[in-house]
Order: sequence, then C-alpha cells, then structure tokens
Amino acid sequence: MKRLRAFQITVLLLVTVAAVQDGYWLFDQHVRGAEKTQGLIKLYDQQRAASRAMLEAGVPVARVKALFPDLSVSAERVVVAPERQAAMLNEQQRRFTQYSWEGGFFLFALCACIGAIFVALRAETRVLNEQEQFLALVSHQFKTPLASLQLSLETMNLRQLPPERSRALMDRMLADLTRMESMVGQILDSSRLSHGRMELKREPVLLDATVSRVVSQYLERAQTDHISIESQVPAQLQVLADPIAVDAVVRNVLENALAAVAPVGGGKVTLIARAVGTEIELAVRDSGIGFRPSDHEQLFRKFSRLNAGAGSSYYGTGLGLFIVQRLMQLSGGRVSASSEGLGSGAQFLLHWPAEQT
Amino acid sequence: MSAPGYHVLVVEDDPHLAAGVVENLRAEGYAVDTVNDGRKAVEWFDSHRSDLIVLDVMLPGMDGFAVCSTLRGRGTTTPVLFLTARGDAADRIHGLEAGGDDYLAKPFHLQEFLLRVRAILRRWDWYRASALTQGSDVLKFAGNEVDFRAFRGRSWNGEEQELTEKEAMILKVLAEKPGEIVSREDLLEKVWGYDVFPSTRTVDNFILRLRKRFERDPANPSHFLTVWGVGYRFLSGEQS
Repeated sequence: MKRLRAFQITVLLLVTVAAVQDGYWLFDQHVRGAEKTQGLIKLYDQQRAASRAMLEAGVPVARVKALFPDLSVSAERVVVAPERQAAMLNEQQRRFTQYSWEGGFFLFALCACIGAIFVALRAETRVLNEQEQFLALVSHQFKTPLASLQLSLETMNLRQLPPERSRALMDRMLADLTRMESMVGQILDSSRLSHGRMELKREPVLLDATVSRVVSQYLERAQTDHISIESQVPAQLQVLADPIAVDAVVRNVLENALAAVAPVGGGKVTLIARAVGTEIELAVRDSGIGFRPSDHEQLFRKFSRLNAGAGSSYYGTGLGLFIVQRLMQLSGGRVSASSEGLGSGAQFLLHWPAEQT
Repeated sequence: MSAPGYHVLVVEDDPHLAAGVVENLRAEGYAVDTVNDGRKAVEWFDSHRSDLIVLDVMLPGMDGFAVCSTLRGRGTTTPVLFLTARGDAADRIHGLEAGGDDYLAKPFHLQEFLLRVRAILRRWDWYRASALTQGSDVLKFAGNEVDFRAFRGRSWNGEEQELTEKEAMILKVLAEKPGEIVSREDLLEKVWGYDVFPSTRTVDNFILRLRKRFERDPANPSHFLTVWGVGYRFLSGEQS
C-alpha cells in the first residue's frame, strides 16, 4: 500500500512537472514567435522607408523592386507583399501548432507509460496481497490440526491412558495428519494450476466408480456431522477427462458440500448424474448454509471463503473451488453454482464432455 | 488435580481440538460442556452458568471476540480464555479489549493451558472469597459506593457506575490494603496473572478509569494515589 501511495504521489508530481513544462514551451514559443514577427515588421518598416527614399531620389521602380523582393513597390505606395505577410503569420501559427502537438503527445506518452506502470504495480500489489493473505490463511489453517496433534501427544505424555483411549488418540492424530496432507495437496495443485504446469490426459472415465470411491472416503466424516450422502450415477456414464482430475473435482465439490452442511447441524448431500446431449452432468446439491446470489462470482476465486469462520474446521485453504474450476476448464468442461440465499443450500453443476460410444 | 464444582464451557468448532480440550479438562476434575458455534455459545448462557469460557476466535455463526463482547454487554462476567490460531499482539489486545481475561495461541502446550485455566479460576476465587470474608460485598469511601458482586457502584455525585471486572478486581486489590503501596506488578499478577499485557502501563489506564469514576477531581486524586516509580496507594475518605 505504501509503495502504491508513493507511486501515486510520484506520478502526480511527474504529470504536474510535465504539464508545467509543456505550458512553458507553448508560452516560450508564443513569445519567441511574437518577437520574430515584431523583428520582421521592424525590418519591413525599414525596407519600406528605404524604398520610399530611393523612389523619391528617382531610382526606378523596377530597381527598387529588385532590391526589396519582400515589398510590393509601385510609384504610389510601398507595402509588405501580401504573400510575405501571410507567410509571416503562418509561420508563427505553424510553430505554435507544432509545439502544441509535440507537447500534447509528450504528455500523452508520459500518461500512457505511467498508466502501464500503474497497472503492473497494482497487479504486483495484488499478487503480494494474495500471497500475504495466503500465508496467513495457510498458517492459520495448519495451526488447528497442529494444535490438535500437539494436544493429543501431550495428553498421552501427561496421562496414563487405557489402551483404547490411546488408540482413539492415535486415530485422531492420524486424521489430523491426513487433513494436513490434504491441505498440502490442495496448495500444490493450486500452484500448478495457477502456473499452467498441469498436463491432463483425456480418456474415458467411469463417473460411477469415481463418485462411489470418493463418497466412501467421506462417509465416516458425514456420519459424525449427521449428514447423509446419496448418489445416483448411472453405471454406463463415461466422461472424457483425466481420471485424477475427475477424482479431485468430485472430492473438492463433495468436501465443499459437507463443509456447508456441517455448521447447520447436519442435513443431506445428493450427487445425481445424467447425460445431457454430448455432455455428462453431475449435480451436487446440499442443504447447507448456501450463499448470497451476489457472492456467486467470489465462490471460485482463489482464497475466497464466504461466511468466514463457518465450518472453519473443514474449510481448508479456500482453494478447493478454485481448483475445481481450473480443472474443469482444462478438461474442456465447466462448473456453475447456484443458491437461493443464505440458509437455502446450494447446487453445483459439473459438465464434462461425454465419451462417445 | 481435582477441581470440584468448577464448570468450564468450551466453545470450539474443530471437533478434534474440542475433544482434546474437553477430555483434559474433565481429567482435571472440571465439569465441561462444549458448543461449536458462536451464536449457540451466547444462547447457552440464557439458561446456563459457567465459571470459565474457553473460547475459540474463528467460529461459525459469530466470532469469538463478538461472543465475548455480547456476553459482557449482557452483564455476564464469566472469565474468558481465548484460544486462537491468530496470536499477534494486535489480536491479543483486541481479545482483551473485548473483555477476555487471557489469551493462548494455537498450537499450545497442554500444561500451560491447564495452568492458565487454574490461574484464572484462582483469581476469580480470590475475588469472590475476599468479597464474602470481609463481611460485606460493598465498599464505601468518601460518598462512593461499590458493590463487588454486582460490579456496580455509585459515585459521590450520585451517578450510577457499571464496572468492568478488571476495574472491580483492581479496586478490590487496592481496597484490601488501604494506605499501603501496591506495586503495578502485584496488581498485574493478582488481576491478570500472566504475561498477558506487554507493559505495566495497562494498569495505569485502569487506574485513570477508576479516578474518572470515583474522584471528585480526577486530575488531583485523593483516593487513588500514584507512588512514582512503584505503584499505587488507595486512601478511603477517612485517611485522606
């Protein structure tokens, strides 16, 4: 922020100095032009006086004309030739116009450069802010399972526990480690996706098998949080995508749905798949906290966590839906989300290209 | 250690951490209840009482700071120990300003946690017990009146005063030793217990608040006297 403020002040100074310089150039040019015109008028006056004196002295008109080509000389009168007078005024105007354009262009180029630097600087600041926010968020998210891990270990160290209690604590520690491992995985995935370093295969993937596998891994957690998971995926449906990416997408969307339902004390998550034209659609509905329609845009943004704190125990890094969107884009598919508002649950629609059989 | 009669409410949304904290508190003899949502924690106090709240900051429903402020606003004086992953100085101060009594950053050491819980309860025990053993919960001095149990008072000009628990505790420590010098460190130790605040100047701010409430001329105090470089001395009307 400080850098941006310093940049803004510097820009303001530069533009002010440049505008003053431009103004000075124009003023200087105007003064010089006027001086030059005055000099010429004086010169022409002298020439006119000399030519009159010569005519009065009996010098022939033709001779005087030859001596003073800038004057229009006749026996009756001597004046500055109209074309010279026009040229004199034109020259003054031309130079003034030239300097105006040059000055204007100079100012425009300066503003354009400053604009380009400003855009770059703002992008850099945004990246820095995101990184800072990311670090704060990641460290915060890691501290909770870490605290639980430390507490379990110190409990075992401090107290004489019966074997079943020790086993329960070890299970809890393993679950905490799994959470942390999953967070690390998400962070790495998001980093690869952000830098375009992930190459995805395209092969037929049985959606039924993937959904069943992922759901089975979350059943225990769902049960603890009083959430029922129902899936209706026809056995023959095959999507054309990378099997690991499909797995990650289903996992992240399901995890998001569970995290949305847990804070309301339990509910339901359903996964329904069907073929729609040349695509396969998977609809993941939950009865959770939902989101405001106006927050729709934010959902898929990196580090975006609506309802801060809600279900924070499962919310991970705020990268899950970002990963889903990027993986769907790279798979030639798309994802969309809808909710009627807070407390109304949400629906995520995933569309993959179907394997043509 | 057994802690008969003490009840602790644990407000933590992480099920593993909550379970760990609850198990250890129960093992120490405390009666424990747990809530995983900020709003539910506030509602819980509509129908229950507790001796201590162990309060997470990042909670669904309502964050821990708001929970603490809401409870204080409703007159709940139950001490609060914040447990949070955000452990920087600004956050600690925010938590204490919201009415918290102590602050522990995650991840924390189990024994330190238990020690802090014990220390907070001991301070409150002292406060309640000394209010009772002196025969009266009410302190009267120079037209001022303070009810230590209700955290209320009336100043010399008849103005009603609602004291924070820290103000009441400081006044209690000073009033227990009328005329004697009490150092800032003693006040910190008795009222806050641990290294919650980075500086003893915090005590000075609370003394200023007490002067504004009970001195006729806060700029020239006659009851809460500063002993330069040492601490404070309390003089009731009779001594002054």
